[in-house]
Amino acid sequence: MVIDLLTKRYPGMRAWLMQRLTAFAMAAYSIMLLVRIIILQPAVYEEWLSFFQPIWFRIASWLFWICLSVHAWLGVRDVFKDYVPDYDIRVVLLKLLATLLWAYIAWASWLFLVR
Amino acid sequence: MQNNEPKIKSEAKQKNRPKNLNLTTIRLPINALVSILHRATGCILFLILPAILLLLQLSLSSAQHFEMVVSILHSPFTKLMLLGLAWAFFHHFFAGIRHLAMDVHWMTTLMKARYTSKVTLVLGALATFIVALKLWF
Repeated sequence: MVIDLLTKRYPGMRAWLMQRLTAFAMAAYSIMLLVRIIILQPAVYEEWLSFFQPIWFRIASWLFWICLSVHAWLGVRDVFKDYVPDYDIRVVLLKLLATLLWAYIAWASWLFLVR
Repeated sequence: MQNNEPKIKSEAKQKNRPKNLNLTTIRLPINALVSILHRATGCILFLILPAILLLLQLSLSSAQHFEMVVSILHSPFTKLMLLGLAWAFFHHFFAGIRHLAMDVHWMTTLMKARYTSKVTLVLGALATFIVALKLWF
């Protein structure tokens, strides 16, 4: 029954669950980041570079950004649904939002994984 | 599914209805306040995403750029903005955790929800206060 709720027949349930899962993952990452900053206290450029050097941290940051994108998509989409009653305008805004979030993902991927 | 709602409402009920929605006449209950702030801070956090990426990009690109970013972040105006953004983050963080708790049916009665609303506001303010201490002292 629970699994049935998560199939394509109930997209709202999927959105609801994704919003929560991404929130949980981002909360965990935020605490990790805060603790890491407090422990390492990067103050000069070299320290800042080595702060971003470990591959596990880069992957974690990239995964954080993916969660952030999904979370922002669902959240801002809800805001548009509530405050933009005109369907055509809303579709344009949603396309703009998706383009922005994909561009941010590309940028973040370059920063965290390629650079 | 059948719609069992009555189509015609009683006349007395209709007469007392306000004709327009005047936001200044509505006193926001604390739960509603925490809820709308959760939405507002979410929007703010979404809007600053490009700034975060830009500052990361600059700070990691070279030592000179790193110094530039540091000096930007140390200017009094930026500090004030950082404090506001820190509050936005922490409020969204704690209000989000409150939502997750309610999703697992914890603290869901009205009185408990009011209590956790207060806790959310206080924790957000406390975390912001600590950030303020870090920024200016």
